[in-house]
Amino acid sequence: MSEELDLTQLPDEELIQHIHDDLYDGLADEVVAEVNELLRRGWTPYDTLTRGLVGGMDIVGVDFRDGILFVPEVLMAAKAMKAGMAILRPLLAETGAPQVGTLVIGTVKGDIHDIGKNLVAMMMEGAGFKVVNLGINNDAEKFIAAIHEHQPELLGMSALLTTTMPYMQVVIKTLKEQGLRDQVIVLVGGAPLNAAFAEEIEADAYCRDAAVAVETAKKLIAIKRGQS
Amino acid sequence: MPSGRKGQVPHGTNLLDAARLLGVELESICGGRQTCGKCQIVVEEGRFPKHAITSSTDHLSPIDSRETAYREKNHMDAGRRLACACEVLGDLLITVPEESQARKQIIAKAATDRVIDVQPAVRQIYVESTPATLEDHRGDWERLQAAVAEQWGLKNLTVDALVLPTLQPALRDRKSSSEEGMYCVTLTLWQDSEVLRVQPGYAEGAYGLAVDVGSTTVVMHLCDLRTGAVLATEATMNPQVRYGEDLMSRVSYAMMEPQGAARLHHVIVAALNDLAKKAAAKAGIAASDIMDVVLAGNTVMHHILLGIDPVELGGAPFALAIDAPVDLKARDLGLKLGTACRVHVLPCIAGHVGADNVAVQLAEAPHRQDETMLIVDVGTNAEIVLGDRRQVLCASSPTGPAFEGAQITHGQRAAPGAIERVRVDPQTLAPRFKVIGHDEWIEPGTTPTVPESARATGICGSGIIEAVVEMYLAGIIDSDGRFNENAAGRSSRVRFDGRKGEYVLADAAQTATGQPIVVNQNDVRAIQLAKAALYAGVKLLMAERRRSSPDGGSTQVEDRLQTVDRIVLAGAFGSYIDPRHAMILGMIPDCDLSRVVAVGNAAGDGARIALLNREQRAEAARIARSVIHVQTAVATDFQNQFVGAIAIPHATDPFPHLEGQLPARPTGQAARRSQRRRQPQPL
Repeated sequence: MSEELDLTQLPDEELIQHIHDDLYDGLADEVVAEVNELLRRGWTPYDTLTRGLVGGMDIVGVDFRDGILFVPEVLMAAKAMKAGMAILRPLLAETGAPQVGTLVIGTVKGDIHDIGKNLVAMMMEGAGFKVVNLGINNDAEKFIAAIHEHQPELLGMSALLTTTMPYMQVVIKTLKEQGLRDQVIVLVGGAPLNAAFAEEIEADAYCRDAAVAVETAKKLIAIKRGQS
Repeated sequence: MPSGRKGQVPHGTNLLDAARLLGVELESICGGRQTCGKCQIVVEEGRFPKHAITSSTDHLSPIDSRETAYREKNHMDAGRRLACACEVLGDLLITVPEESQARKQIIAKAATDRVIDVQPAVRQIYVESTPATLEDHRGDWERLQAAVAEQWGLKNLTVDALVLPTLQPALRDRKSSSEEGMYCVTLTLWQDSEVLRVQPGYAEGAYGLAVDVGSTTVVMHLCDLRTGAVLATEATMNPQVRYGEDLMSRVSYAMMEPQGAARLHHVIVAALNDLAKKAAAKAGIAASDIMDVVLAGNTVMHHILLGIDPVELGGAPFALAIDAPVDLKARDLGLKLGTACRVHVLPCIAGHVGADNVAVQLAEAPHRQDETMLIVDVGTNAEIVLGDRRQVLCASSPTGPAFEGAQITHGQRAAPGAIERVRVDPQTLAPRFKVIGHDEWIEPGTTPTVPESARATGICGSGIIEAVVEMYLAGIIDSDGRFNENAAGRSSRVRFDGRKGEYVLADAAQTATGQPIVVNQNDVRAIQLAKAALYAGVKLLMAERRRSSPDGGSTQVEDRLQTVDRIVLAGAFGSYIDPRHAMILGMIPDCDLSRVVAVGNAAGDGARIALLNREQRAEAARIARSVIHVQTAVATDFQNQFVGAIAIPHATDPFPHLEGQLPARPTGQAARRSQRRRQPQPL
């Protein structure tokens, strides 16, 4: 449909609508063309990102949360988002646009499952966050090293096994010992977890799924920035 | 309570625990974490003179944040509480709703008629030994050894230390000596090398147990070691369930609780003693006549049985304490059988692929087939075996508990009252279903005459699989698993709450609870994730087989390596799944449907084979060593395979054997979701 369209003839608002639809449908080539068209019209990279890509991924996030979209569709959308981001990232760096925030995320020690965590990472990227994905089987030292290196606002930990989720507490304890606990917002998630567990280990929040993770991250960062 | 149980518990006792203390088993899948919502109860308000108490909801601790969180996410009647979230603070009269009661499971336990060459590890021999004389200063044992060597050609016999004291009385049993004054005894031998029993004169009767220790069910076959006949089969729930529903929560229990691993060990050993006693009684023998045992079980059961703390199996790299077979004495494990009774524990393959899987391979023998065989054993972890005589590969895939009815809104275990079969009329969208414990199908519109035994309490694993597939075939859900808005216009059974769809499978009047039983969007999603994990595991094994095939390369071979000739569904659950529905769902890959078979408790059969044939024990050890294990979760392609397998039956893989049976997929313009998103919302 898009290929028959002359993008240059569309008003801005309709063009934004097309970006949202094409993200929703996971059409990377179309998203790239539309991002380029907005930039050609003199849109700033920052506006293109927030109103176009992030706005579109917000819709994807809501529909994922409501069960309308599922994992495959969200991954396709995230890939399309990534294609658009590839154009914008260098431009954003040049213009020094404001950062949404940085997330360091990983599956904890002893656990080798990471599809759910990868989904969170992609949705967070979709929401404009910089994401450092540490992969699987991370001990406290690896999380700490990444915090020192990337200075994130957010730390995300994931576990799929009842037997590995207690390790999250070890990481949080180590953060406290090293005086880093107040520096990061700690989000936890994974099949065997619940809010009570998150509270017990003194994480900042339990996130049921990737969409909730994005909402929670935005909310907690806003609160934190409001305080400082 | 409907159970009529009453009693006192200390102030502050958790209500779920209190129920257990009083002998009332409540369903609990999450183990008291306010997650599954299966332990709902109702407090009766008021004075109850019959019980001389005043019962009040105030006598339970108030609703805490965790219960609130559950209530926010799930529909729960106002009068109900989660037993696991309540503390008992005073007198209470509690009603346990139908669906909250844990019931005895249905167990497929009949030993199948497999042809086994009976050549057991334990056998009896009759021996005549020269009596002691003043001239012959050898010990009685040495004289007996010499007699066995001469009469049976068996050298270097040893004798169990606890059997030695019975040697002289048996040899000198007056009734049993021959006319020539020879000492006559019957020896029970293990592997023709160790004496396990000495009986005076000629005696007959050596028995053995083949046991599959499953995490949910324990099945035991008592066999006559001489004839190979199964004399009794007994089954029971694994009593460890009370410490954790699934395997990992039991490992977690062992990690967190002091003496936890020891407790898990003791309860399973007690259960085995109990089963052995029952089986022996049924067969008319004494438990002390049982001289050999073969044990199969998953890796966690294997370790716990051997008294090994399973903690290492709880996290990567999931190291086994031992993968080789273990031979020991039954008494070392606390089993009360024959004094010197032997135990052979079948070998394991890897951290998540245990002796039960080796037993299944022994029974199904994929390594002896010319054709490509796929074996799928579905549980919380699905074990997958793929191969032929050239090469066999295996993997385990984390399907989660959805196939067992957990994580499903109205899910339950396979027990009386569970919906186990479902058919949906593709035109009217009206459902027919079958309930466990009632032979007739329940037709739509027969509501007023539904008998008590046919009232549904929930949906079990096979039921939810059929329901999702039938909904897909009828167009209620699309290939991507989403509820189709157009279906709401076709039948009032398809309802939308906002944009979230659900399908009414059983009307209020057809259920034991008086509430309709529905399948909603989240239920479909949970089944999609579970089946995708299974299918992705199969695809990874196929890919690995291509990569490592000794004769790969040619196109013809390549094609053959991507298909399977025969699919074996193992395990109790496999017996209840309809192959066609499993394939349409995309749990299993394309295959000629007539070549998809359920084999029941193949692990139990494998254990029986190893019990009755000593060569097969060596074969099992060879299988465990030679099978190629693939660690699916870390495979680079797992995520792609998983995502592709979420669609029903699959996003891209063809299913030629289902041709003409699947609904057409929307293409082009119609496939664009964003267009559909813009359509006016129903209701």
